[in-house]
Amino acid sequence: MAPAPNSSGGNAPREEASLKVPVKDPKKKDEKKDEDLSEEDLALKQQLELYVERVQDPDPGLQKAALESMRHEIRTSTSSMTSVPKPLKFLRPHYGTLKAYYETMAESDLKRYLADILSVLALTMSAEGERESLKYRLLGSEGDIGSWGHEYVRNLAGEIAQEYSKRQSEEAPIDDLMELVQQIVAFHMKHNAEPEAVDLLMEVEDLDMLMEHVDSTNFKRTCLYLTSAARYLPGPDDVSVLDIAYMIYRKFEEYANALQIALFLDNMQYVKQVFTSCDDLLRKKQFCYILARHGITFELNEGMVSDDGDREALQEIINNSKLSEGYLTLARDIEVMEPKSPEDIYKAHLLDGRASASASVDSARQNLAATFVNAFVNAGFGQDKLMTVQSDSSSSGGSSANWLFKNKEHGKASAAASLGMILLWDVDSGLAQLDKYFHGTDMQVLAGALLGVGIVNCNIKNECDPALALLGDYVDREDASVRIGAIMGLGLAYAGAQNNEVRAKLSPILDGKASLDVVAFTAISLGLIYVGSCNEEVANSIIFALMDRSESELGEPLARLLPLGLGLLYLGKQDAVEATAEVSKTFNEKIRKHCDMTLLSCAYAGTGNVLKVQNLLGHCAQHLDKGETHQGPAVLGIAMVAMAEELGLEMAIRSLEHLLQYGEQNIRRAVPLALGLLCISNPKVNVMDTLSRLSHDTDSEVAMAAVISLGLIGGGTNNARIAGMLRNLSSYYYKDASLLFCVRIAQGLVHLGKGLLTLNPYHSERFLLSPTALAGIVTMLYACLDMKAIILQKYHYVLYFLVLAMQPRMLMTVDENLRPLSVPVRVGQAVDVVGQAGRPKTITGFQTHSTPVLLAAGDRAELATEKYIPLSPILEGFVILKENPEYTEDR
Amino acid sequence: MLKVSVKWQKEVFPDVEIDTSLPPYVFKCQLFDLTGVPPERQKIMVKGGLLKDDADWKTVGIKQGQKLMMMGTADEIVKAPEKGPVFVEDLPEEEQAVAVGHSAGLFNLGNTCYMNSTVQCLHSVPELKSALLQYRPSGRRNDLDQTSHMLTVATRDLFSELDKTAKPVAPMQFWMSLRKKYPQFGQLHNGVFMQQDAEECWTQLLYTLSLSLRSPGANDNLDTIKALFGIELVSRMHCQESGEESSEAESVYSLKCHISQEVNHLHEGLKHGLKSELEKASPPLGRSAIYIKESRINGLPRYLTIQFVRFFWKRESNQKAKILRKVDYPLELDVYDFCSSDLQKKLEAPRQFLRDEEGKKLGLKVAEKNAAAPKDDDEKMADAEGSSNTNGESSVASSQDGNSCQSEDTQLTGVYDLVAVLTHKGRSADSGHYVAWVKQEDGKWIEYDDDNPIPQREEDIVKLSGGGDWHMAYICMYKARVVRM
Repeated sequence: MAPAPNSSGGNAPREEASLKVPVKDPKKKDEKKDEDLSEEDLALKQQLELYVERVQDPDPGLQKAALESMRHEIRTSTSSMTSVPKPLKFLRPHYGTLKAYYETMAESDLKRYLADILSVLALTMSAEGERESLKYRLLGSEGDIGSWGHEYVRNLAGEIAQEYSKRQSEEAPIDDLMELVQQIVAFHMKHNAEPEAVDLLMEVEDLDMLMEHVDSTNFKRTCLYLTSAARYLPGPDDVSVLDIAYMIYRKFEEYANALQIALFLDNMQYVKQVFTSCDDLLRKKQFCYILARHGITFELNEGMVSDDGDREALQEIINNSKLSEGYLTLARDIEVMEPKSPEDIYKAHLLDGRASASASVDSARQNLAATFVNAFVNAGFGQDKLMTVQSDSSSSGGSSANWLFKNKEHGKASAAASLGMILLWDVDSGLAQLDKYFHGTDMQVLAGALLGVGIVNCNIKNECDPALALLGDYVDREDASVRIGAIMGLGLAYAGAQNNEVRAKLSPILDGKASLDVVAFTAISLGLIYVGSCNEEVANSIIFALMDRSESELGEPLARLLPLGLGLLYLGKQDAVEATAEVSKTFNEKIRKHCDMTLLSCAYAGTGNVLKVQNLLGHCAQHLDKGETHQGPAVLGIAMVAMAEELGLEMAIRSLEHLLQYGEQNIRRAVPLALGLLCISNPKVNVMDTLSRLSHDTDSEVAMAAVISLGLIGGGTNNARIAGMLRNLSSYYYKDASLLFCVRIAQGLVHLGKGLLTLNPYHSERFLLSPTALAGIVTMLYACLDMKAIILQKYHYVLYFLVLAMQPRMLMTVDENLRPLSVPVRVGQAVDVVGQAGRPKTITGFQTHSTPVLLAAGDRAELATEKYIPLSPILEGFVILKENPEYTEDR
Repeated sequence: MLKVSVKWQKEVFPDVEIDTSLPPYVFKCQLFDLTGVPPERQKIMVKGGLLKDDADWKTVGIKQGQKLMMMGTADEIVKAPEKGPVFVEDLPEEEQAVAVGHSAGLFNLGNTCYMNSTVQCLHSVPELKSALLQYRPSGRRNDLDQTSHMLTVATRDLFSELDKTAKPVAPMQFWMSLRKKYPQFGQLHNGVFMQQDAEECWTQLLYTLSLSLRSPGANDNLDTIKALFGIELVSRMHCQESGEESSEAESVYSLKCHISQEVNHLHEGLKHGLKSELEKASPPLGRSAIYIKESRINGLPRYLTIQFVRFFWKRESNQKAKILRKVDYPLELDVYDFCSSDLQKKLEAPRQFLRDEEGKKLGLKVAEKNAAAPKDDDEKMADAEGSSNTNGESSVASSQDGNSCQSEDTQLTGVYDLVAVLTHKGRSADSGHYVAWVKQEDGKWIEYDDDNPIPQREEDIVKLSGGGDWHMAYICMYKARVVRM
């Protein structure tokens, strides 16, 4: 078109020209850019060029003035770094010049001055990895670091981290660096950048420095970041990080938070410190509630609480003796006291035609299922429609005994024990009602009564030790089922108690010539009582018991509970298991690998250790030709390790899906159970769908495991979708007695405590893991690995191990006299606010209720009134409210 | 002297004195006074176990003001009932069938699903069962051939076996007898037995049974099968051209539901089936002419069998092809419209009675009626009684072949309830799959898919009406709703 090469004319040629320009002459572009500059910018540019020239001027006065002005220009513009500030941009071409000149300068204040400026300039101009910003900073005048703006500090922190690791490897001194770190941390902590400060200190491995810089305005955010970061740190860093957080909380007298961390670390010394350093009785009461929820045994002494009466009152809270009362208050408030029968749960009328015809004859299997459903659904309510009908009148023996004897043989044991479940936590009436079963001649009933005593006392401590007194004499009886009842009862009642008297009763059984089932239950009970204690004596007795077993015995499904008992001793204790793991390598090969997997998965349970998950996955990838059984525990182990935090949990769910596709049958049978553990009492839709699919699997054991797991993920949620699925399954499997039994159990679990209970071993906003709860669930799941040999045989009472994990999913607010106090609270989905600026909302989609109120998985509550101050930062379980002295009624 | 407090259930007894010089049994007697729990039932928890009656207080180590806990009740001790419950798991196999609530399935012996489903449908007729049970092998009459006798015996045995067990039954004996009697069912194709038309099996089996189950009494017409399944028809032949008219009576075992373009419902199909054109020699015209035959029901059976004429011989493919058209059928069928006017008159009173009964059941206006005119009501009652009497007489007189199994005071109403459906799935009568859907006595439906009985919902039963490749009804069996007057 137009012949003219440049300028004039239409769009096309100009585009062409501009395209050609860079190719022809790069310089021209710069010029052109200069031309584009506004007058203001041009002036600035020239000004800066002038300064650069002047800096190189021999006259120190001029030099100084130039540096000062340059510094002024830069400072006024580096506050934000969304784009490179103009002065820095214009100085870019002169960076080299200035650097060269700096080298030639003699040592002087001016030289340091220039170093400061070079340090800032290096922020954008230094080549990757040169760390020139840091270099010149160290050479510079060491003035106020914040004056150069946030981004400069951030960049510097990054370079320090790199430099630090380099110097560490060279073993060079780091004093100058640490000085700088000191400054940077102080700056960050003052400017709401606590996460950056913590990150930097973690890089330079000097978290203690944090203590000097936290103050009442920023310690909360700092600690929140520390505790959340700890989950992703490898040991032992995580412990040191939490130690710091504990220290900070204690420094600022946030004892409840400090206690949470102490419990997370399982550090009893810290727990005691919390009690000794706090002198507010009411707050101590709150600590006791926290301890009680965590389910650990803790004895107060005079140092912690000086007054005898107070101490007794506090100990009573730790002993959970008021749990039953609180739970019943909740039940009355929600109006679910009315007992429910198994038929109310099955809802067979919704399946007209498909349900099995009304059987005129009792089926022992179905009656047993009804016994369990009745126990689970009415757990803790003290009344039901089968076992406790008219307990006072003379005909009581009649109706209650009727149902008891509608169970066949070993079923009677579970039926008698179910009375314990119905009266859960209510030791006084529980023992009174179980008493009538102690005097009969039927051994199964007696066994069930003993187990029932254990269940009633589960998570409750009593100074009179009724469980030990009652059960102690029966552990050495002739009858195996009576022995098992007493042994399991002790295990449930003293889980986590590390009670030496109980050990003295149980340990001899392992050495004796008892039958395999008695030995297996003894090992489990000892494992429960000493859960996570790493007690060597108990470990040795179990190891010897394992070595004593003959090869054929080790092949039995029940023998696999022995390694589990051993594993429970090391639950969550990570490296502490290593010595025992070495010993386990000498076991008979039938059990060796199984034991290995069990120990590994127990030791790292609840740690979220990715390496261990990979290790376990590796074991699952192998294809076995012999009938080895260790892959089941390995699959469960993946869940046990990965359940610690949300991200790992999601990844584990995906890995398990892969195992389903490629794994062998024994792996596929364990996968549903692992999914059940990962989402226990937390029905995630994707997992629900997977399990629903598996519940129709052609392999009946996969289907059974999936059905049980549906119950577990819906545990205590009353989830309508799962309930519907199970109802349909009950008609689908109406002819298969075993699967129907599983469906019934699952139905009972979904309506656990009529929806007031949870099985989740995690509590306090998923921060703390109750070891006894996890141990109970894991034991039950191990038993489910071989459903046909254990639960569908005569050991169905292993289902009662779940009682260890049963806790009310409530928020109950109490006043200063510990009487229930109804206040409005907002309940909504918890939001992760770690590291977020300002004061973000912690819950979303909330509704306002008045307490007591139920909390679902992932829910968080906050007070909707200013009138009271909660004494616990986490509104779960029992929370004491104190009147807010600054509160004034509006209008 | 020590003072302790004792906790028993929810009560606390403070300041109970212990005389440490006396054995603990004395202390227990003290507690007996307080609680009423006999000493031998008391369990008192002390350190390290229970307090023994003869223990030494010193070793027990009780301290002043200690809290003791006592367990024990004066309640009755739980005793096992003398007669324990009986569990399904312990029952012998026969009784398990009762517990399951429905009878067993039948194994497929190689394309015998047509036979299995026929047997399952007929098995649901209790009257047939009892008639078969009365059949004595020794009582074989001379006019009955050996094979029919064998088949009847085999049917009887099979029916009783089905009731005895919960496990599927292999109908070997029956299958052999059926083939012996009707060799066409033994056709082989590529060395295996061929699929057959269930309707044929049904008809043949009923025919054989009707021969063998004739009461040995004087009246040869006293035929159980006919009483149960026989439908009396009166037909009027009308020739358009000559105007001549004739009528004839016949007895059939099933009504046909013809399926054409216009038929959407069983009712229409039946109407269609009762009207036909035929060509026959007309005496007045001296040549063959088109006659229109219109049939009416003149006598109703206890069990009304309706066959959907779904199959027709398709010459080009040389097989019995199937009409897939959807034809709805009701759970409750009223055949009043198809009855002859005589029969309609007879049905009037029982129908009225039935309506009243149902109205009463629904709680409709009974009270109101009573209040309005009790006298009127009485009259009506009298009326009803009168008519029922006459009806009863007439029914005996007209003698629906002697309602031997029908007691005098029950009346047919022309209303029928669906009790069994035999369905076919597939594209031709000699292929595909036959399944029986049978209503149990407790009102639940079971799908008998050979050896696998599956419970079904009632609303799914009426979905078997065709129009796709799902199971579709081929033979429906309705049971008469009777009133007791």
